[in-house]
Amino acid sequence: MLARVIEKLVQLALLIGIGISVPTGLRAEDPSEPEGSPVPSFRRDVMPVLFRAGCNAGTCHGSARGKDGFALSLFGYDARGDYERMVNEMVGRRVNTAVPEQSLLLLKATGAVSHTGGKLFASDSEYYATLLQWIEAGAPDDAADIPETSGLQLSTNRLLFQEAGASTTLEVRAVASDASTRDVGKLARYFSNNESVAKISADGQVTAVGPGDTHVFARFSRFTVGVEVIVLPAEAGFDWPNPPAFNFIDELVFERLKNLRIAPSDLCDDETFLRRVTLDLAARPPTVNEYQAFMADPASDKRDRKIDELLADDAFADLWTAIWAEQLRVIGGNYAPDATYVKAADAFYQWIRKQMRTGRPLNEFVAEMVDASGSNLTNGPANLYTMLVHKPQFEPKAFAADFSQVFLGVQIQCSECHNHPFDRWSQDDYYSFVSFFTGIKRKPGVEPRERRIYWDATVPPANHVVDGRPMPARVLGGVKPVDMAGDPRSALAAWLTAPENDLFSRNLANRIWAQLLGRGIIEPVDDVRASNPPVNGPLLNALANHLVQSQFDLRSLVREICQSRVYQLSAKPNTSNVRDTRQFSHAHLRRLRADVLLDSVAAVTGVPRRFNGFPEGTRAIDYYPRESGDTEGPHFGDPFFSTFGRSSRATVCACETKREPTLSQALHMAVGDTVKDRLGAGGEVKKLLEMKRTPRQVVEELFIRALGRKPTSEEGTAMLELVGAAAADESVYEDIFWSLLNSTEFSFNH
Amino acid sequence: MKLPMPAALVRNLWMILLIWLAPCACRLYGDDTKPVTFDGPVAAIFKRHCVQCHGDSKQEAGLSLAGYDEVVKGGSGGVVVVSGRSSASRLIEVITAEEPTERMPPKNDPLPDEAVTLLKAWIDRGIRQNSESAGVAVKALGFRPSGMSKLEGPPPMPQTLPAFEKPKTVRPFPVLALAASPVAPLVAFSAYEAINLVDSGSGQELGALAFPEGEPHVLKFSPSGAVLLAAGGRPVQSGLAVLFDVKTGKRLAELGNEADAVLAADLSADERRVALGGSGRVVKVFSTEDGSLLHTLSKHTDWITALAYSPDGKLLATADRSGSIHLWDAATGGVVLPLAQHKGAIRALSWRADSQVLASSGDDGLIVWWYVSRGWPLTSKANAHPPARPPGVYGKLAAGVVDATFGHQGELGTCGRDGKARLWADDGQEQQAFSIAESAVAQAKPARSTGVPMLPTRVVFSFDGRVLIAGDSWGRLHFWPTAKDKPPE
Repeated sequence: MLARVIEKLVQLALLIGIGISVPTGLRAEDPSEPEGSPVPSFRRDVMPVLFRAGCNAGTCHGSARGKDGFALSLFGYDARGDYERMVNEMVGRRVNTAVPEQSLLLLKATGAVSHTGGKLFASDSEYYATLLQWIEAGAPDDAADIPETSGLQLSTNRLLFQEAGASTTLEVRAVASDASTRDVGKLARYFSNNESVAKISADGQVTAVGPGDTHVFARFSRFTVGVEVIVLPAEAGFDWPNPPAFNFIDELVFERLKNLRIAPSDLCDDETFLRRVTLDLAARPPTVNEYQAFMADPASDKRDRKIDELLADDAFADLWTAIWAEQLRVIGGNYAPDATYVKAADAFYQWIRKQMRTGRPLNEFVAEMVDASGSNLTNGPANLYTMLVHKPQFEPKAFAADFSQVFLGVQIQCSECHNHPFDRWSQDDYYSFVSFFTGIKRKPGVEPRERRIYWDATVPPANHVVDGRPMPARVLGGVKPVDMAGDPRSALAAWLTAPENDLFSRNLANRIWAQLLGRGIIEPVDDVRASNPPVNGPLLNALANHLVQSQFDLRSLVREICQSRVYQLSAKPNTSNVRDTRQFSHAHLRRLRADVLLDSVAAVTGVPRRFNGFPEGTRAIDYYPRESGDTEGPHFGDPFFSTFGRSSRATVCACETKREPTLSQALHMAVGDTVKDRLGAGGEVKKLLEMKRTPRQVVEELFIRALGRKPTSEEGTAMLELVGAAAADESVYEDIFWSLLNSTEFSFNH
Repeated sequence: MKLPMPAALVRNLWMILLIWLAPCACRLYGDDTKPVTFDGPVAAIFKRHCVQCHGDSKQEAGLSLAGYDEVVKGGSGGVVVVSGRSSASRLIEVITAEEPTERMPPKNDPLPDEAVTLLKAWIDRGIRQNSESAGVAVKALGFRPSGMSKLEGPPPMPQTLPAFEKPKTVRPFPVLALAASPVAPLVAFSAYEAINLVDSGSGQELGALAFPEGEPHVLKFSPSGAVLLAAGGRPVQSGLAVLFDVKTGKRLAELGNEADAVLAADLSADERRVALGGSGRVVKVFSTEDGSLLHTLSKHTDWITALAYSPDGKLLATADRSGSIHLWDAATGGVVLPLAQHKGAIRALSWRADSQVLASSGDDGLIVWWYVSRGWPLTSKANAHPPARPPGVYGKLAAGVVDATFGHQGELGTCGRDGKARLWADDGQEQQAFSIAESAVAQAKPARSTGVPMLPTRVVFSFDGRVLIAGDSWGRLHFWPTAKDKPPE
C-alpha cells in the first residue's frame, strides 16, 4: 500500500511540477463576493465604530497593553496595526469571515458572550450592521490611497441658551482629504467641559443646565472641535452698569460680561491701585514716601504716570528675569557633571537680565536662544540647550516637549505614543518637531566646565514610533518639512517668532496677562489645546495682536493691561459677579510670589536677606538656585522658597510656581525667623520713635509700610488702646508690626 | 392500630394533591421529573455569563464559577449559594438586583428570566451536581487506550463515517488545524463545525467528521494512527477535546468543559492522557479512561497557545502567548524546566521523533531548536519568515512563524506570515521555500476581493515525509513534494 501511494505521488509531482494543488473538497469554487451595498472601508467605516463604542479608549483595548489579550491603538492612531490584530493575529477568532455573525468582535460588542466591557451596542444597530457587512465582504483592508479624515465641521461654533432646559442638536461632518464630507453625528464622541452649565448627549444633543459659559466638544478620528455654550442667567434684576472703557481690553471684557449678564466691580481706590501695581511691576510694596506722593498728587493721569515710572525701573526687568529664569530652568551646580556649572548658569542669567533691561523684543529674545550655538560659558543663550532639560546627554524628545510647552504653551508630548486625544497634534507632528533637535550635540571645550553646543548635520531625523518612518524637521501645523541641508533651527526660530505664528504671540500674551490678573485667559497657561479654549477668545487675540503690533515689546503690553479698567477693578464682588472666577469681572486675590513676599518683608523691615553663594544685598527675585552637585532634581535653593512654593525648576510646568496658602506658610510667618528676627533688627521702629512721632503717627506709618494704606478709624483706635501707657516702648509697636506682617492682607495682592 | 382514615382514602388524597400541584410546578421548573443539575444547564449559564471574571483565569472577589466545587465554596465574601434557599443566596441577589450598578453581570443586560428561574430552581432543589446526586460519579468513558502497541492489520483509514450535513458558510473556514496520520496517507483539517479528511497523496476527499461544538483549533493523530484528537469550541462560549476512531468516525471520548475554545491540546503517546489549554491560562490534564481531571498546571501567565507530549511519553511541553515555555513531567505534572527565549506569542511546539529536540516558533519570527535535556537552544533562527516590504511601508512588519512541525527525519517544516512554507535541515539551515500565493495561482482559484489577506495557518508532513502540506486562512490546502521527491533534472 505504501509503495502505491509513493508511486502515485511521484506521478503527480511529475505531472504538475513543483506546486501541486488539490481542491479541498469543501467547495469547488470560492463563492462570489456578496454584491449590492458598497463594502464598508476599514479606516473610513469600521474604525469609527470602534472609536464610537469606546473599544479603543485608554481604559479598554486602547490601553498600552490592551485588555484581556486584545490590543488596539489608542483612539485608532495605528490603523495598519489594528487591522493586523483584528484580522490576522488570531485567524478566524475575532473576525470570522466564514460565519460572520459568529465573529468574536460582534459577539463581544453586543454582549452575546461575556465581555468585561459589557454590551456596547445592539445587534439591530447601524454599528453592528457596518461591522457585519465588512466581515461578510471578507474583512478587506483598504487600498493604500484611501482618503483620510482631515478635519471636522460643526453646524455652529456658538450656542446661546436663554434658559436652563433648552436644547439643540449639533451636526458633525467629517471632511476627508479628497474634500468630500459626510455626516458623522452618530460616530463622533461628545463631552462637555462643565456639565453644570451644559451637557451633551451621546448623539450630540446639547442641553442647557445652569447659567454660565463653557464649551462642548465633538471628537472624531484625531480631531476635537469645540462649540462655545452660553447659558444666560435670568434677565430680571440685572442692570448693565455701563462702566467706561479705558482701552480695548475693557471693551472686550465688558462686552463678554454684558453678554453673560455679569456686572463688573467698581474701580479700586488709589491706595489699592498703588500697592497692586507696585507689587506687580516692581516686586515690592510702595514706600511711605511713594505712598504720600501718590496720594497727594491731584492729577487725573497719576495712575498712568505711576505705571510708566514703574516700567522704567530696573526692578521690573529683574522681576521678568526671575520669571523667565524659572521657566527656562536656570540652575547652576558647582560640581555639575554636565554643562550646567554655576558659571554657565550665570552667563545665561545675566544675558536674560540684559535683554529684559534693554527692552529687547521678546521674539528676538527667544529667537536668539533657539538659534544659539557655542560655549555655554561665554554665550549665555546657548544654555537653552543645557538647562531646559537637565540631563547628562542632550535628549531631543524631552527637549522638544519642553520647548513647545514653554514657547507655545502646547503639550505635544502626548503625541509621542499616540495622536493627541484632545488636540490637533498627531504623531507625525511630534516626530517632525523632534527632528529640529536631533542634531544638537554638546562637545567639551577648552576648560573642564565648558561645553560647546553645535549642530551635527550627520545625525538623521527622528523616526516615527509606529512605523519607523524618518520624519524630517517640520514646524507644528506645517505641511512641508523645512530644508534640512544645514542647521534647521534658524528656520525653526524664524517660524516660531514670526508675527504670523499666533501660537507664539498668544502664548506670550496669555502668560503676561496671567502674571498680572492672576489667571490666564487660557488656564493653565501651558496647556493650550482644542479642548481647553480661551474663556475670552477675542481678548486673547487682541492682546496677542497688540504684542505683535508693538514689535513684541513686553512693557507696551504690560502698560496696556495695567492701564485698563479691568486691571484696576476692585477685588470686592457684587451680587452678579460673586460667582465669577474666570471672566475678570473683579480683581482676584493673589498670594504674593514667594520671592516677592520675601523681598517685601525685607523692604518693610529694612533688613535684607542673605542667600548662600550670592553677595550681600541680593534680592530674592535676583536669586536662582546654585547647588553643590548635579542640577537635575528639584531645587528650591532656600527653605523659604520651598515653603512658599517658588518654582523648584524640576520641570518647565507653570504649575511649579505655587500660589496656594498653606498652614506651614502661616506658621513660618508667625514664629519663623523671617519675620521675627527682622522686627527690631532694622531699627525702623526705633527711628520712628526717635523722630518724636506720636503713637498715632507711628501706627499709621506702620500700616502704610506694611499694607500700603492708612488704618481705618476702628483699627486706629484699637491700636492706640494697645499702645496705652507704653507709648515709648518699641516692643509694643513691634508687636503691632508683627501682626500686620502676619495678616493675609500683607501676603496677598488684592 | 387503627388508622383515623381508611388507607385508600389517604392514598387518594395524596393523589389529588399531587395532581393539583403538578401543573404549577411544571410551569415554574419545566419537567419536574428531571432534576435541575449543575452539570449541563447551570454550568452553561455560568460559562456564558460569568466565568470571564469568575473563572479559571480571573476570580473577581475570589469567586470562581468554573466548577461545581468552586461554586459551592463561594468567594472571599462567603458562600454564594445556600442549598434549598434561593432567596437567601447571594448569587440570586446579585443577578436580580434592580440597580444596574449592583447587578451582575456588570455593564450588560440582566440574565434572561429563564436562566434566573433555572438557577433558583437548582438552588431550591438542593444544588445537585448531577443526576446521581450522591457526590461525584466516576465517568466511564468506555475508551480503551491502545498504547504504543502496533495495531494489527492495515494502517487505519476512514471506512464508514457517520453521515451528517455540513453547515453552510459564507466562504470556507480558515484551516485552523491540520494533521497527518503518522502511518497512512490521511490528512485531517478543520472546517466550521466539521473536520475534513483527505488523501495526502491524491488530495481526494475521504469524508468528514461532525464537530457541532464549533471550530476545531487542534487536530492530532495518535502514534498508532487509529485515534484522532480534535479540540476547539466556540470563542468565549465553550471548549472541549474529542477523541474519534479514525476508521469508523465514532466518538470515543469527550473531555473538558471549558469556557472558551481550546487553543492547544495533545494526546499522550500511550493515549491515556489529554492535555488542553486556552485563554484560561492553565493546562488541564484529563484521563482518557474515566474523564477525570488529573492535573491542573498553572505556571503560565497568558493564554496557552501550544502544547505537545514528547513521543517517548515522558515530557509535556506547554507554551503561552507571552513567550514562555514550560516542560512538565507527563506522568506526575511536576515542573521540569522553563525554556525562555521567545519575545512574543508562541504559535507552535513540535517534538522531534527521538524526543531529544523540541522546536518552538512564534510571533517574534523566531524558531528555536531546544536541546531538551539541557534546557538550552541547540540552534535558533531569527527572522525565519521575513515578509517582503511593500514600497512606502516602514517599521516592523508582522513576521510571525505560525506553525512548526518535525518530519520523521528530523527536518522541520514551518509556515509564516510572509505567506511561505519553509523546510529546514536538522542543523537549522533552510532547504526549501514554497509560496502559498504561487500555489494558489497554480490552483487557478478566482481571486477574492482585494485587500483580504491570505496567510498560511498550519503545516504538516505527509506520513512518509514526501509531501509538505499547508493550510491557509482562505480554507484551502497546498501540497508540495519535498526535495527528495523532486524528479532528477
